[in-house]
Amino acid sequence: MQSKLSDIVLIEEILAGNQSAYADLVKRHQRFVFTLAMRFAKNREDAEEIAQDTFIKAYRSLSAFGQQSKFTTWLYTIVYTTAMTFLRKKRLDTSSINDEDTFIQLENQNGALDNNLAENKSRSFYLNQAIEQLLPDDAMIIALFYQGEQSLEEIAVTLGIEPNNVKVKLFRARQRLKEKLERTLKHEVKELI
Amino acid sequence: MNSVEEKLWSYIDGTCTDAEKLHISQLIETNEVYRSMYQDMLAFNQEMQQIELEEPSMPFTYNVMEAIRQEEALKPLKASIDSRIIKGITAFFILTISVVLIYAMSSVNWSAGGHMALPINIKLPSFKSYLSGQAMQSFLFFDVILALYLLDGYFRKQRNAKNV
Repeated sequence: MQSKLSDIVLIEEILAGNQSAYADLVKRHQRFVFTLAMRFAKNREDAEEIAQDTFIKAYRSLSAFGQQSKFTTWLYTIVYTTAMTFLRKKRLDTSSINDEDTFIQLENQNGALDNNLAENKSRSFYLNQAIEQLLPDDAMIIALFYQGEQSLEEIAVTLGIEPNNVKVKLFRARQRLKEKLERTLKHEVKELI
Repeated sequence: MNSVEEKLWSYIDGTCTDAEKLHISQLIETNEVYRSMYQDMLAFNQEMQQIELEEPSMPFTYNVMEAIRQEEALKPLKASIDSRIIKGITAFFILTISVVLIYAMSSVNWSAGGHMALPINIKLPSFKSYLSGQAMQSFLFFDVILALYLLDGYFRKQRNAKNV
């Protein structure tokens, strides 16, 4: 609640002409915005581009922010639309998560990370790897729910769907994540043997 | 779809009704399958919440602010000028010109130049000779052609607008 009030105070300052107050707002939200962008882009350069575009777009339309929802919900909606536009431009493969080829392709994309596996054997590392293998929509819902601590209703606003749909999508995303995690761990065990 | 899993997630997320909540909590206490799965899910939830956020590069905030500053600098000048200032300047000039005109008109002695006549006789040509029947017919014919040409252009524009 305190964060929400502070965000609104900062926004009022920015709208009154204090441009530097926006830097505080960016610093406050950049880590989560960048994390969301990473769920779409899969590499840091593209994720930074998405995150930067998001903050520039948010600044441009700050006066249109009606405060009907939390600032974060509004901001994450911009992240989502910016990332989707970016994906369309880049024509990234967003085919079904059950597609075996997709798994292999994404696994190969993470080849650089695989080299560090010996040094990073924590379950959290594998969990991150499994999240990276999810489809952007699934990864977004997981990130919004767990790291963003957004309610199902807030996620529904961000993604522009019904809360019941979010519940179903979250359930499926968790199932897929568990599958991916088990697959990654199994693969790792095989490598060790 | 695994209904046990679905029920347990609803229970953990707090999206089920009070009656469902009571029923599931009883199942967790009495049923080993439910209890074991519930413990796994809680552990999974805890792990998920512990995942650290990604960190963008050091100059990220600077880059964003720099991009915004550049964009602001590139905005056309007319966008940053308040329209009220322009309206104020316009009103000032209209008012000043009106005051000067009213003062000038009121100070003129209108009766002073009543019987003025030209000192020389100028012979103006007789226009009646040009307004013969043939000349008038040619003039009217040209007018009709011009009117038809303009009317045609007008209808063509209207038709094109409708097609678009």
